[in-house]
Amino acid sequence: MFDRCLALILVLCAPFGLLHAELPSPELSHELNRLATPVAAPDFSLEDLDGEQQALSDYHGKVIMLNFWATWCPPCRREIPSMESIYQDLGDKGFVVLGVNEFETPDHVFAYTGQLSVFPNFPILFDRDSKVSELYGVKGLPTTLLINKQGQVVYRAAGGRDFDHPEVRAIVSELLAEGDGGN
Amino acid sequence: MKRLFHHSGRILPALLLSVLGHIPHSIAAVETFTDEASGLLSWRAQHPGFSLQFIQLLPDYVRAVYSGRGLPPKVVELMAGYCMFGTIIKNESDGPLAYRVADWRYITADGQSHPVKTKTQWLADWQDMGVAFRWSLLPDDQQFAPGDWSQGFTTLPLAPDTVFKLKYQWTQQGEIHEGIFEDLRCAPAEAPDV
Repeated sequence: MFDRCLALILVLCAPFGLLHAELPSPELSHELNRLATPVAAPDFSLEDLDGEQQALSDYHGKVIMLNFWATWCPPCRREIPSMESIYQDLGDKGFVVLGVNEFETPDHVFAYTGQLSVFPNFPILFDRDSKVSELYGVKGLPTTLLINKQGQVVYRAAGGRDFDHPEVRAIVSELLAEGDGGN
Repeated sequence: MKRLFHHSGRILPALLLSVLGHIPHSIAAVETFTDEASGLLSWRAQHPGFSLQFIQLLPDYVRAVYSGRGLPPKVVELMAGYCMFGTIIKNESDGPLAYRVADWRYITADGQSHPVKTKTQWLADWQDMGVAFRWSLLPDDQQFAPGDWSQGFTTLPLAPDTVFKLKYQWTQQGEIHEGIFEDLRCAPAEAPDV
């Protein structure tokens, strides 16, 4: 109970600058960088907000946006609405967003999402020991990967992005239009 | 956010450093800002295609961040005892860019140059103290594609309000560049009156 209260206090205080004026927020860019050679996305299984295990392989055949984030990371928070927007629009076309939270508890994240103006409906998974982020060579948060229908990482972005940008939508639509067998 | 002043770096010392170090010194437009809400300072060096920003962090903010992540009190106090900055690095060029914190040096008032403690060094210390958390600190090194950027904390073993220089390097299009912040200042021990 104490943990929940402390988490809620920190979640409520930090965004309003009661502890510190938040780091200045650079504008979110929208460039996604295509990997010269697609890399097979390693499978993993993590717990979601409901305590259920979800594996990357559960989504095989879909285009996956794999986003590594944390509630204390300002650009992570800023890109959530754009992820939710593109997920809402393309979710029924075979696109999924997986928000992989780093090192935080479901209680903390649940309290945090309750304060957001845009509630993330995409699955949030808990990488409590950062093993999955290590598996993907993630050095900083946020980092986002796009995985094609064949299960290959094809795009990567370090730092916050506006995923609702037309260029990002065009990239995702292009990946959705690809056949299941080719690149 | 109020802009305090705007100037180009001090050209003569910079050129001397360049000649001595054989590394091209890139002259930055350095801006200093005061946050109107907190009174804290930040600095931004803008080079062609590359920007670096240092933002003062109060010890209480550092305590809140690390206690909020469940780190033990001794680690929280250790971190709060450091001069800490939020650091933002951006690749604004249309080509690859890289940096290594191990190449950066801070220069104290006595003229001594010191290496900046890296995230890897911190993680080793944290591991010895039983901490598995590996986030919040600026990554040791990164390869940025166009549009990539990163932020994290940079730590220096300096007292509150200490003024120092910071020499930083980055690689752009395969060429090493160097810049300098002439007068960074650690955050005060407590929030300034605003």
